[in-house]
Amino acid sequence: MTVQVSEISLPNRQSGQSAQAELRDAIDEQPLLDWMTRWQPFTADVLRDLAARGVPKSQWPQSRHWNWGAKMAEVSGLIAFRGFCVTCNGVTQGLMRVDLTPLAREDTQAGKPLVYVEYLEVAPWNRGDGGRTPHYGGVGSALIAAAVKLSIDEGFRGRIGLHSLPQADGFYRDTCGMMDLGPDDGYQRLRYFEMTETQAQAFLREEAPE
Amino acid sequence: MAEKRTMTLNLGEAEMRVLEELSAKKDLTKTAVLRQALRIYQTLDARIARGEKLLFENDATKEKAELMLL
Repeated sequence: MTVQVSEISLPNRQSGQSAQAELRDAIDEQPLLDWMTRWQPFTADVLRDLAARGVPKSQWPQSRHWNWGAKMAEVSGLIAFRGFCVTCNGVTQGLMRVDLTPLAREDTQAGKPLVYVEYLEVAPWNRGDGGRTPHYGGVGSALIAAAVKLSIDEGFRGRIGLHSLPQADGFYRDTCGMMDLGPDDGYQRLRYFEMTETQAQAFLREEAPE
Repeated sequence: MAEKRTMTLNLGEAEMRVLEELSAKKDLTKTAVLRQALRIYQTLDARIARGEKLLFENDATKEKAELMLL
């Protein structure tokens, strides 16, 4: 399978400069290796630090138990599922898995297909856990933009949907401009967010002006 | 986007009507409808092969019915 690679730019929050990065429409061996050999040890350090400082577990990263190796293995060979990653300086900075089969719920687009973002996670050094300065910004937005563009390519007009971990509610609502359809009783009461065609166009204008 | 390959598809009148209805209802091209159908069929087939069941639940009555895929 040919992997599509797009050049993107990420702000380096520590240096104030922007860095060239790549968006890839696959999660193959290298991103999973990075997750195992770089993300996992970094996350373990963060958790040790949070525990030592007595930070309540409710404030620990809520995706800390995600196993990307298992997540990609369970959909291997299934054409409904796609993976994306962002790399910068040769290291994976963010991962996303999407499902192309769910249907929209919001009244104006109910029953129409969308790209459902099942999992999206940025590398632990790109989060501000425990007051740290994130390394690269814009990784989550770049992945959401990839989901929107995939939705357009598939004829879904930019519609996307997702259930958000509580720590990310503000990102999807305020940064991505998605519609908050409230807690979902059928999905651990996580809030369900959806992006309409109009919102998708507005998001892309903001995120990835051509 | 992955490289595309082209094929000719022969459908009966009723099948074509359903395809056109789904295309209109889902706001998709006919090609996109068939691609969605393929994705869903493969996913269902894989999950059933893993020993899972496909159930439909009536939202009002909570009655469940199993769909058999052959």
